[in-house]
Amino acid sequence: MNILKIDHLAKRFGSNEILKDVSLNVPEHSIYGFIGQNGSGKTTTMKIILGLLSKDRGNITVCGEEAKYGQTKTNRFIGYLPDVPEYYNYMNPREYLQLCGQITGMDQKKIAAGTKELLSLVGLEQAAKKRIGGFSRGMKQRLGIAQALLNQPRLLICDEPTSALDPVGRKEILDILNTVKDKTTVLFSTHILSDVERICDHIAILNDGTIAINGALNEIKEKHGTDSLQIEFEMEGDCGQFERLYQTHFGVVTEKIDSRTICIQALEIEKTQSEVLGILYQNKLMPLAVQRKKPTLENVFLEVVK
Amino acid sequence: MKSYLAFLKKELLEYSRTFKLWILIVVFLLLGLMNPLTAKFTPELFENFMPEGMTITIAETTILDCWMQFFKNVPQLGIIVLIIMFSGIMANELSRQTLVIMLTKGMPRLTVILAKFTTAGLLWTVCYWLSFAVTLLYGEVFWTDTTVSNLGVAVFVVWVFGLLLISALILGGVLFRNYYGSLLLTGTVVVVMFLINIPRQIARFSPIRLVSVNMELLSGTITASDIYRPLAVTVVLLLAFLGLSIIVFNKKKI
Repeated sequence: MNILKIDHLAKRFGSNEILKDVSLNVPEHSIYGFIGQNGSGKTTTMKIILGLLSKDRGNITVCGEEAKYGQTKTNRFIGYLPDVPEYYNYMNPREYLQLCGQITGMDQKKIAAGTKELLSLVGLEQAAKKRIGGFSRGMKQRLGIAQALLNQPRLLICDEPTSALDPVGRKEILDILNTVKDKTTVLFSTHILSDVERICDHIAILNDGTIAINGALNEIKEKHGTDSLQIEFEMEGDCGQFERLYQTHFGVVTEKIDSRTICIQALEIEKTQSEVLGILYQNKLMPLAVQRKKPTLENVFLEVVK
Repeated sequence: MKSYLAFLKKELLEYSRTFKLWILIVVFLLLGLMNPLTAKFTPELFENFMPEGMTITIAETTILDCWMQFFKNVPQLGIIVLIIMFSGIMANELSRQTLVIMLTKGMPRLTVILAKFTTAGLLWTVCYWLSFAVTLLYGEVFWTDTTVSNLGVAVFVVWVFGLLLISALILGGVLFRNYYGSLLLTGTVVVVMFLINIPRQIARFSPIRLVSVNMELLSGTITASDIYRPLAVTVVLLLAFLGLSIIVFNKKKI
């Protein structure tokens, strides 16, 4: 079942058409990476889902109900972590979660239990009675996840949760997201591709106001990225010689990584590898390494946003 | 209702922890205390500071002098402090984006406006009546004859005027999302009220009368019924400002 369904969403700010035609489906219990460059419209899309911004065209359904601007009824299914979450600095995390729980109409028992569980999940038990005003970005981000999960939402929307964090903070957030995926569906936007590869099973790439690619991550990698062969030589001369030979034999353009390393994109990796090894053998060129490279998300992304 | 009460509690906590509550209480207590003291002791001060050989005759002070101080200080100084303290009532949350999480939890936007108005109104009520109580008490101590006419009405209408300004601050904040917007709109409202207070035909409707004819009420020059028209206008304006705030806020990008 799809927790979130977006159909032909469009949004314009003045003369700037930021979203032209965005359609995507987020299946239940997935960790969905919403990828795009800075300013591509990721936050705008999320804010429209949450009813914080109006849309010009299109349709959004959350758990089967239509999401409408200003009226945030569908938000009862959603937990949201903004890119830079802002809190009431004079409160402590416990008081803040208490407020969040009461606003969503949870009963006192559930709030108390949820607060305890979530503060321990995000590692803020020690700071439970300290004022939020003194928190680091990482701590605020973790508190953000706790507040978003408090009423056990079916969809957790995180807007660039890791962008402003140091490597330790990033790892903590990714680990937490990974832990909660059994309980909820996670949609998170980012431009950090390694984060996506680490935890996402589905992705959508937003480019030029439309969804360039979406679907299961491994399928996309298989479909869009090609395998490649990387050959490293000891001498620059050998590298140059091999490059000329390969190109005259097969008419395929090779890509030079540096003065001693060459990369060949291969649709059929085994065929290419045997051709390469053949040339190397016949010409007595001894490489340092011949390595098969799997396609990365980075290749796919760069290909798509070209 | 649950979210309204929760947000109300949050607002009270905010006023208390950011010391605004305590500042307001201290200021209004001081104002309340100053009224009878200045009324009582100004003549004595004059006498003491007069150059040798000069005499002036100052009439014996009455309770009316005390109330004159009250209706001069509280509607001016007190309301200015009130406006400054509440100028960030919407701006703080809108510019700092603290409402984003609250609203995305499904809290109706209407609740924000109503809870904010209630808390600010509650604070104003407590401070204002505290100030009044102190003035009243010391008045009883300093003067034996403390009878004045229409005291209840004269004091009540100033309180309503304060509520009107709070609603104007909220509307300004919702419209312009910053302190200056709140101050600008409230300032404009006051200026417009002053302007319509000048032509005779419409002056009797101007809400400014609520804070300018109090002494005339006390001395009996005008009767309580003379204030009903501006009072009605004020209440209508207040409700209009609140209604407009809700409508605008419902359409607002957050």
